[in-house]
Amino acid sequence: MNKQTERIILKGRKVIGGVAEGEALVSKMPLMGWGNVDPQRGYTTERNHPLFEIPFKGKVLVFTEPRGSGGFVSYGMSRMFGTHPAAFVYRKGNNLTVFAAMVANVPTVTDFDQDPTEVIETGDHVIVNGDKGIVEVIKKRKTGR
Amino acid sequence: MRLTDEEKRILNGERGEIAQRCMKFLVEYGEAAGAEYLVDIDGTVDMHPGANWVPAYSVSREEVAALAARGERFKVPTFSDKATAPGFIVDGWETCGVHPSCEPAFHQKCLDDLKPYIEMGMIPTFSCTHYLVSSFWPAPGTHSAWVESSAIPWVNAVLGSRSNFDGCFQTAYLGKVPAYDMHLTENRAATVLVRCETELKRDMDYDLFGWAVGERLGLKVPALVGIGRPTTAQLVKMNSSLNTGGQVRMYHIPGITPEAPTLEAAFQGKKPREVISITRDDLRRVYDMMNYGSRDDVDFVHLGCPHYTIQEVRKVAELLDGKKCSVRLWVMTSPQVYSLAEAAGYRKKIEAAGGMLLSGACAGLLKGNTMPPANKPSVIATDSAKQDYYITGHCYPEKVQVRYGTMEDCIEAAVTGRWKGEWR
Repeated sequence: MNKQTERIILKGRKVIGGVAEGEALVSKMPLMGWGNVDPQRGYTTERNHPLFEIPFKGKVLVFTEPRGSGGFVSYGMSRMFGTHPAAFVYRKGNNLTVFAAMVANVPTVTDFDQDPTEVIETGDHVIVNGDKGIVEVIKKRKTGR
Repeated sequence: MRLTDEEKRILNGERGEIAQRCMKFLVEYGEAAGAEYLVDIDGTVDMHPGANWVPAYSVSREEVAALAARGERFKVPTFSDKATAPGFIVDGWETCGVHPSCEPAFHQKCLDDLKPYIEMGMIPTFSCTHYLVSSFWPAPGTHSAWVESSAIPWVNAVLGSRSNFDGCFQTAYLGKVPAYDMHLTENRAATVLVRCETELKRDMDYDLFGWAVGERLGLKVPALVGIGRPTTAQLVKMNSSLNTGGQVRMYHIPGITPEAPTLEAAFQGKKPREVISITRDDLRRVYDMMNYGSRDDVDFVHLGCPHYTIQEVRKVAELLDGKKCSVRLWVMTSPQVYSLAEAAGYRKKIEAAGGMLLSGACAGLLKGNTMPPANKPSVIATDSAKQDYYITGHCYPEKVQVRYGTMEDCIEAAVTGRWKGEWR
């Protein structure tokens, strides 16, 4: 370990309490529900989406915003199939993100002091403290350097 | 959250376990959303009967039936959005050929399941465009709780009543909803000035424009200038796209929508934080994205997302006059417009040409199972960006292609079985 691990703290607002950690799966494109998420398979089925067919099970799902139908709650309904994310972290939401988080019942934080999708990259290790509204990011080490 | 004494009593169970469960839902939801209090709904509720947002606080159909039987009623005027029972079609189901929609026993079961909600006072509009046929609108400045993509901008922007995307049994039963986001005056101000730099003429132009704006804005509130004077059908299409391509719940059209008598009023006296332009190239880009696939041998044509107005149904009937469909054509509308179309003879005209007029459902709600006995089409033609963009997901993992264009393009595809639409 000759390279120092970079740690970043993001301060936000609690949506759902509890603490969870995992590898980040980041979407800079808003997430869309209803037909465009498959809760059973646990991934987005939206054509043109960077996360198309990429499982979010056990990941910290980091995204910008929701868009579209009330069927966004299917991101939370993945809980019924055990394919749900370990936590949600998002830049800005509305009642659809709140409902998805309530249904999944996993630690969820939003309204940060900085844009989480700018700070967190897919593969980073993220600790989400829903109770404190804090997210700790441990940057993945760049290989080959 | 700060609760009133009455709300605390309900939370303590003084009005029974179901009312307590509903209050627990509103309180937990409100706290997670950052709301400080509940507001009394003095507008209306729009709900998907049978659906619950969060299973932990679900009220079952049996529980609703028990409440209805002992004379309990919704606290506020409540209207039905589409019933979400998979496969339920209100009118036209008998001849659709798709299972289980076309089975009388299935249809009756769906109707029976909806009865308790109607007994409690829900008006059986059963449509995503219930707001066009409900005969009763919430007044400007009131608080409401609605659902559905095109309906949310309708209640906020067009009617000036205040609503998040949270209508449900719980809000209708207690007549309350967490007060945050769209309920608060400051959040309804425009922050982005959107200049439309191309003339919007066709209905499709408003669909494409709404998507282009939604994509750029996400949750922000725009003031839209240079969009002309949209018709009812054009507003419905624009709203649907604004809240599908993005999450625009509220907008202003200065001089037209009720909270924006002037441009200054739209911004509540502040300066725009952003100014953006939408050009013809933006509409073209969305049009190309909606044309998903390369095949031109269309086998299913879907019109009426959101549910068509009577003027659109009339136009379909006219375009089909003297023609014969060679592939399956579904024209979706509300049960109330279906009755009007029946009275006006449009249903007969559409059916004489081999098309089908259906109410209370859409291909998306049927998970794309629109081809008898219960299969998905291969190439769909539609005039709706919303239906277009969701249907490939609904049909997943089957790969379905979508052709997108004007109503005229779609009718031509229904008649010839070929897609001839192109950007014009």
